[in-house]
Amino acid sequence: MKRFLFPSIAVAMLALAADPADRVMAQQTKPIRIGVNTAIQAQVGRDAIDSVKMAIDEINAQGGVLGRKFEMIVADEGEAATDGPKVGIAAVNKLTSEDHVDVLIGGYDSGVTLGELPHIARAKTIFLGIGSASPAIQQKVKEDYERYKYIFRVNPINSARQSQALINFITGKLKGDLGYKKMSIIGENAKWVQDMVPAIKKGAQAAGIEVPVAEFFDVQTADFSPLFAKVKDSGSQYLIVIISHGSSDVFVKQWYDAKVPVPIGGIDVKGMDANFFDRVGGKSIAEVSANFVLRAPLTPVTVPWWDKFVSLNKRPPVYTAAGAYAAVYIYTEAVKRAGSTETDAVVKELEKTDFVGPAGRVQFDATHDVKDGPGFVNLLFVQWQANGERVVVWPKELVTGKMINPPWLAQN
Amino acid sequence: MVQILVYGAVISAIYAMLAVGFTLIFGVARILNLAHGSFYALGAYLVYSLTADARLPLWLACLLAVPLVGAFGVVVERVLVRPLRRSMLAVLLITLAVALMVEQALLLIFGSEARNVPSMVDATYHFAGVDISAQRLLALGGGVTILAGLWLFMQYTRLGSAILAIAQDAEAAQYMGIPSDRIYSLVMGLSAAIAASAGILVAPFQTVIPSMGLLPLVKAFAIVVVGGLGSIPGSILGALLLGYSETIIAFQVSIEWSQIVSVAAVFTTLVLRPSGFFGKRASF
Repeated sequence: MKRFLFPSIAVAMLALAADPADRVMAQQTKPIRIGVNTAIQAQVGRDAIDSVKMAIDEINAQGGVLGRKFEMIVADEGEAATDGPKVGIAAVNKLTSEDHVDVLIGGYDSGVTLGELPHIARAKTIFLGIGSASPAIQQKVKEDYERYKYIFRVNPINSARQSQALINFITGKLKGDLGYKKMSIIGENAKWVQDMVPAIKKGAQAAGIEVPVAEFFDVQTADFSPLFAKVKDSGSQYLIVIISHGSSDVFVKQWYDAKVPVPIGGIDVKGMDANFFDRVGGKSIAEVSANFVLRAPLTPVTVPWWDKFVSLNKRPPVYTAAGAYAAVYIYTEAVKRAGSTETDAVVKELEKTDFVGPAGRVQFDATHDVKDGPGFVNLLFVQWQANGERVVVWPKELVTGKMINPPWLAQN
Repeated sequence: MVQILVYGAVISAIYAMLAVGFTLIFGVARILNLAHGSFYALGAYLVYSLTADARLPLWLACLLAVPLVGAFGVVVERVLVRPLRRSMLAVLLITLAVALMVEQALLLIFGSEARNVPSMVDATYHFAGVDISAQRLLALGGGVTILAGLWLFMQYTRLGSAILAIAQDAEAAQYMGIPSDRIYSLVMGLSAAIAASAGILVAPFQTVIPSMGLLPLVKAFAIVVVGGLGSIPGSILGALLLGYSETIIAFQVSIEWSQIVSVAAVFTTLVLRPSGFFGKRASF
């Protein structure tokens, strides 16, 4: 046995020593791996994947970055409402420890993303969030920078800032322009909404608006009639709704079918989908649904990006697509500036990001969260109108049309 | 108060349609059918597909979907369940497999997004402070009609008598020349058709997604535990109790708390009266 042992060790050592330049070269030319962790069965997930692919193809066609091409590996986060965070955690662990990705782009459900964070931090892998909105995610960076510095949010605006934008809509448009003084607020019982409803209620009350109903509903709710009855009986003039994982389709259909004499609007994530109006048989008419991106000249790249996505995928994109596309370019630019894919160096460069993407100009604040407001990414309040047309009704500087009432109510 | 009465009646009728089929197949064939929710989902998706893809009129799509799902139920019983019927556990597993297979097939074919099944009637009625769509009233009327039809069928037809005989004593019924295997298939088909009818009637105002069969299965299960496994009157009583309890909680307390009613009902029943209200074998 000994006869073979020493020669074997010698051969192995020689092999290891042989031409380290070759190995470095191989390292430098191997593709940069982007791991996409998302809910692949949902449109938010499919659009994220297709948008990452679109950006990768564009960058690879120009020779990649630092002479290296990009490749994408997708892992399913599952359906948050039924799977919880376990599928997402498994996806992140697979991408980081088995596929050894250089960067993660993804996330949709805040509860799932929060469950994934310790695993991402332990793997010391950069994560560019494009779907989850809870402020608690970026709060981790503030609480323990060294551990969580890899976590960035490109998209969407966090839910606390969304709440503020919604309060501005309530006070500026609904009270200021339309004179409503009594509104109800309902939201699904999910992590990202739990802080929003009390904050919006407080903001509305501070502006002198009466809020008779402020309630949560389960994401599995299949019958909204009791809520509609309560809101109607309360004498509310408008119903603010915050819904993402719950069934927006059922919500608007039941609202329309019962001809509830109260207009609806707020943050309806599925209501952001371009095909939502058709999907519910036109019953979302007059619903105002906050959105981050639509085919409008928000930035010079919005319309060309939108049209290219539609021509490649034969469907219009949702908000995660805008974030995913921007995330690939933001990472590419940071790698270019850092001169390597070394994580700590790229993190430093990501912090200096100033990128104009489809949804707006992206800069990160001290918690690595995307900045919002004039000149940055904005929350647009978009109303479904006749024939599925979408009209921006707020903020004032971006308005593209007049806000209407549902057909069974008198027009303003 | 009127709102609770009306909405409670609608939801109870839907629950009763779901639970009666579920309890029927158990009462007759001792099949605890975990694929019952799949029949409900298939009914809704077939109507969607026949109207949106095949461009058939809605009424024709509904008329076709019910027997098609019924036939699927017969195939499931004949091909998958019958060879395993000696083992309750094997039947449970095979019906669970069918449920998962149907859900995945729907996911692959239609994707995860909710699909729109148009309303059969578009009107909205306003009375005594209640705003209710005609579709919900149709679901109530449809449910009552189907249940009444089932009762008449069971009481006044030879086939109904044969089903009752099998439910009372399968062996004795066989000695009397009643072909039990054929009856089991028929009851499975009937049970599937009733579940499909429920799916079709509620699809215009509910979520049509691949996993839509799960919640109805849970509700049906809760109702038959409360009413007594295998008892049709028990299921109807259970449906009324659960439907009205949920509606009262949703209107008077919070919609968020209404979902806990079924869990609480099952728990209380299992502790206080494990056999349910009418939990005797063959209590039709």
